[in-house]
Amino acid sequence: MIYCIGHSIISPLGEGSQANFDAVQAGRSGLKIYTDRFADVEPFCASLFDTPQSFVPLCIKSVEQAIVHCPLSIVQSSDTIFVLSTTKGDNLDLLTPAQTIASHFGNPNPPVVVSNACTSGVCAQITAQRLLEAGLYKQAVVIGCDIQTRFIVSGFQSFKALSPEPCLPFSPDRKGLNLGEAAATIIYSREPIADNQPPCWTLETGSIHNDANHISAPSRTGEGAYQCLKDVMAGTTPSRIDLIGVHGTATLYNDAMEQIALERAGLQDVPKSMLKPFFGHTMGAAGVLETILCVLMAKNDKMVNVIKMLSGFGGVNAAIRLKIED
Amino acid sequence: MEQLIEQLKAQIIEALNFEDMTPADIDTDAPLFGEGLGLDSIDALELIMLMDREYGIKLADPKAGKAIFASVRTMAEYIQANRTK
Amino acid sequence: MLDGQPVAVSETGDKMLVELYRRYAGDYPKFFKMDTLCRLGFIAAEILINEEMRKCENEKMVNAIILANRSASIKNDKDYLATISDGNYYPSPSLFVYTLPNIVTGEIAIRHHIQGETAFYILDNPEQLEPIVQSTITNDPYGASRSEESPITVLCGWLECSAPNEFYAKLQIIWNN
Repeated sequence: MIYCIGHSIISPLGEGSQANFDAVQAGRSGLKIYTDRFADVEPFCASLFDTPQSFVPLCIKSVEQAIVHCPLSIVQSSDTIFVLSTTKGDNLDLLTPAQTIASHFGNPNPPVVVSNACTSGVCAQITAQRLLEAGLYKQAVVIGCDIQTRFIVSGFQSFKALSPEPCLPFSPDRKGLNLGEAAATIIYSREPIADNQPPCWTLETGSIHNDANHISAPSRTGEGAYQCLKDVMAGTTPSRIDLIGVHGTATLYNDAMEQIALERAGLQDVPKSMLKPFFGHTMGAAGVLETILCVLMAKNDKMVNVIKMLSGFGGVNAAIRLKIED
Repeated sequence: MEQLIEQLKAQIIEALNFEDMTPADIDTDAPLFGEGLGLDSIDALELIMLMDREYGIKLADPKAGKAIFASVRTMAEYIQANRTK
Repeated sequence: MLDGQPVAVSETGDKMLVELYRRYAGDYPKFFKMDTLCRLGFIAAEILINEEMRKCENEKMVNAIILANRSASIKNDKDYLATISDGNYYPSPSLFVYTLPNIVTGEIAIRHHIQGETAFYILDNPEQLEPIVQSTITNDPYGASRSEESPITVLCGWLECSAPNEFYAKLQIIWNN
């Protein structure tokens, strides 16, 4: 297991994990209808920054906010690895922004970019866990970020996957997903921080499985998602899970697939956290942002065991189980 | 109409990457989805884009596509009736 | 090259991939819907997995796929961009779906019924992949809920396609002894 010693969220709902949590508690959503943000694109509903953001500065700001309660030397240390989760990076370039961010903080190690479609944010945390538990590094700075562009919105429109209104995950009236943009960072460590500051949570275990069914549609039996849930439940039971952060994109097939997977895993009665009506689908940022928020929601309700699950293009599914420290 | 059907078959082959096929290999009245050519959900979306790009027809509701794309003939008939290019 | 021995081909570039497909597979029309990166990965995986099945008495089954490159899906990204150019806006869904590099892991998983872990990383060089694969094997995703004694067997490697007719693949199969 590895320990979270810092985190941050920057989204259209505000800066800081707490500010974003407060916004969600107050029922505020970042979703709006956009008619002329991008040329040629039909009107779409999304959660976007009022002022268009640049990828690298946004990520840097996100890391700066996450390390506020950590020793500054952590980001510069050769024992620290930067892991970036993103689907389209900075205008289709994924590697250079990661290198720029790492070297901005004086980190000497070549960064790792996880590009596993919409599951990237959870996969990046799993990758960090493995590298830390293998003893290769002592800390990991896991950043998730994606900025919406004409490229992405036009593509999802060609898939007819977008809802013209705010999305309704798991609802019989759901019409599709909304897109979103954000940056979120989690700092993981092999040890809890020395000065008696309790970690925010521990990452206990994670799992990734492919449906092996279709490259863009989920398995109708939720095969990969179910296998992930089964894996992360090893050593515990459904009755001990307090909260599940679902993917909940509000597309016809994704939500139905997730419901099936949850039922197969015996988790259908566990309260679900659905965050896309507040943030839209933030792609590479989703896994990191939604993990942080699920934990804050769980802490608020004195819950202990949380699962976060995601699915993505390419038939990939991922899940992690977290434990909230007191 | 026959000319449109032949043209459509060639366009379908190119748009859906049926490398080893010629228009003669496509039965005008065979089902496009299911048993016939066995098209999938992405192919359906690509056909919607084809109708827009080549014939200026915008299909707002993908569910209406099921009837239109039943066969090459039904697709050609719909195009004949609705084309703006 | 397969296990250090060159394989004879008569074509180059994208045509070479089609030639290899016809020789080593030939029964999978979906191949022609794939972008170059996926065709490259599909063929390389097909050749390697079939060779491995032929050699291994125990049929050590690949049950995880971990691939990496530097340029993600840039070549196909540019192909998609051409369908949304100014004055000619007809976004192609079949091109858009391939604007993610991990799709190739999905194509290989579908072809070989691999329901284990699939992942794609963007790295500076192939050497960086080794600790990621090793730590995955050590962590053993199957350890948690394994019901049969099948060790994790990873198809991994570098799969690069940065421009038309410019690509490179080096794959291997690794497992824990």
